[in-house]
Amino acid sequence: MAATNLTLPLDVNDPSREPRSSAARIGAISLAAFALPGLMITSAQAEAAPEDGVISLKYQTYRDSQPGLDRIRVNAPALHVFAPIAGSWSVEASTVQDNISGASPRWHTSISGASKMEDRRTAADVKLTKYFERASVGMRFAYSDEHDYRSNAVALDGRFSSADNNTTWFAGISTSRDTINPVNGIVENEHKNVSEFMVGVTQAWTKNDLLQFNLTYVRGNGYFNDPYKLVDQRPREKNQTTAMLRWNHFVESNSTTIRSSYRYYSDSFGVRAHTLSGEWVIPVAERFSITPSARYYSQRAASFYFDPVYDPVIGEPYPVGAPKFYSADTRLSSYGGITVGGKIEWRYDKNWSFDVKYERYEQRSSWRLDGGGSPGLAPFRAQFAQIGVSRRF
Amino acid sequence: MSLGAALVADPMKTEIAEQFAAMASPCEIRVLGVAPEAAHAAIALAIAEVRRIEHKYSRYRADSVISQINAAAGSSHPIAVDSETQQLIEFAAQLFEASDGLFDCTSGVLRRVWDFRSHRSPEQGAIDALLPLVGWQQVQWDGERIALTRQGMELDFGGFGKEYAVDRAAAILASTGIAHALVNLGGDVRVIGSRTDGEPWQIGIRDPRPPGSAPDQCFAKIPVQHGAIATSGDYERFIEVDGKRYCHVLNPRTGWPVSSWRSVSVVGTLCVQAGALSTIAMLKGEGAQAFLDAEGVSYLLCDSRGEVFRTGT
Repeated sequence: MAATNLTLPLDVNDPSREPRSSAARIGAISLAAFALPGLMITSAQAEAAPEDGVISLKYQTYRDSQPGLDRIRVNAPALHVFAPIAGSWSVEASTVQDNISGASPRWHTSISGASKMEDRRTAADVKLTKYFERASVGMRFAYSDEHDYRSNAVALDGRFSSADNNTTWFAGISTSRDTINPVNGIVENEHKNVSEFMVGVTQAWTKNDLLQFNLTYVRGNGYFNDPYKLVDQRPREKNQTTAMLRWNHFVESNSTTIRSSYRYYSDSFGVRAHTLSGEWVIPVAERFSITPSARYYSQRAASFYFDPVYDPVIGEPYPVGAPKFYSADTRLSSYGGITVGGKIEWRYDKNWSFDVKYERYEQRSSWRLDGGGSPGLAPFRAQFAQIGVSRRF
Repeated sequence: MSLGAALVADPMKTEIAEQFAAMASPCEIRVLGVAPEAAHAAIALAIAEVRRIEHKYSRYRADSVISQINAAAGSSHPIAVDSETQQLIEFAAQLFEASDGLFDCTSGVLRRVWDFRSHRSPEQGAIDALLPLVGWQQVQWDGERIALTRQGMELDFGGFGKEYAVDRAAAILASTGIAHALVNLGGDVRVIGSRTDGEPWQIGIRDPRPPGSAPDQCFAKIPVQHGAIATSGDYERFIEVDGKRYCHVLNPRTGWPVSSWRSVSVVGTLCVQAGALSTIAMLKGEGAQAFLDAEGVSYLLCDSRGEVFRTGT
């Protein structure tokens, strides 16, 4: 028999979601099963979609955290906006198999003791965690390979929770070694070594408020240039500090959720950045939810950034004089950026849901916090629209 | 990009999985979206519940409720049972009614002659000798007390006990506030919520005739956003007679195993529901599809020739 992925037109009779009229479709055996006590999960959180306010309150919005430090450093504003969207729109997810149903399956990923495989979705990414009563220690090895970029990494983290589980402390270190072989051959076998240190605390402040604070220090040396830019010479050392505060608040009176965060970023290139973001998840009706969101970003230029002025004679902008380091990468300039957007989710029926997401990003020099942005840069705008269809079973 | 940033992951993306053995099966519980310590505490509670049910209803434990009932068979002294057991016996009674007698929790006695390791079928005479001990209609059940009227009769929760444990374990996890989890006891699965990224859980269905090189190969994958999935099949415990494979699901009327379907997977709200329906569908033979359609559940069937049927076909 060929191994195929059959997608079933599943039609689960769930009395807690179904209107009464469809009860006629539920067979006698199903009804008998539903009558067994203590098996139904009646809490709203188990039934709600994960983007719904109730669940998101309890668990952090990982969207905000998804643009990792490195990503921001390398691909500032535009991807700052896009990356989270791409992350939540994961196509590969459908190819992953989480578990197996069948009579008496045999385990082929069994690991003894308290160890575990994490992230089965990435083959070369293994995490082993040892758990204690209120604490855990984890170690992770990762390997990734692209045609022009290879990375090996190892990380160690530890967590500790208070006796009442309302507070969780976190500390982690990681180190990675990357090998860069750009296709244009401008450099060969360049390396970048990055070490990262992170501490954090998550506090359930009230039953409706979750606070999280993270402090990250990243130390890197090696090749930071953009190999695909002609005039680009950056220091071979880069240290970054990031502080982030998140606050998720569930408004009981109207069942909406407000997610907000502030992030401060500073690096040895001289870049300083502030990010303030918020979104408001509003369930409008049983089947509708609207989530307006906004984000403000402000950045001071790197110390070796030079204002690009195209010379009619030499063409490509060159830095004045003979500085040691120079780059005209707009992502290292001074500017401010605003993203506004929203998402509408419509659950058509129990199987189908649709969501429409629109975001508009605009970046201008003058929008920097103190107004003194880099000159000579045209405002940068980006729009992002997404239509999603999903099926529920 | 450097993996350094990604490595120190958001605590809320952590996935905790624990494997254990219970009910003669490999089991796994996975929890997403809570701190590892909270996940482990909840999983410990869920496993404790599985063990409680296993001890209470195991045929193999002399001190189990089932063993007490079976030991009293033929003595005409009804055994009073606690309310949980009452509910489960009542469920078994309803399954018998609704399946026209195909699902019979007294048919386990037939296992005395069917040795699914021997690959030999028993003498017809041996089967005939046991058939009088099979039959729910011979059980006295008043809703509180039960009596097996013939000596040698056996009650067996094998058809739904493991599934009941799956649902109970899931309910325990949910009661601790966990909103994304999966419970798998030997292939009977119940999920709580989706994965934390909103994607459904992808449940592979084991190929009943996998190639020798890949004994765990799956022939289908069913996305499950919430609810349960159970699969009955002739996977490992079976007998082949004259080239025909018989699974461990025994027809209570003939005393013979069924052979129409290689595997029957049912997706339902509860695991007890999916498990009972998949077993009854096996017993229904040709009528399985019509039966499952009438019950209003989704299914995936693989027949004895390897042809696949699913909901709506």
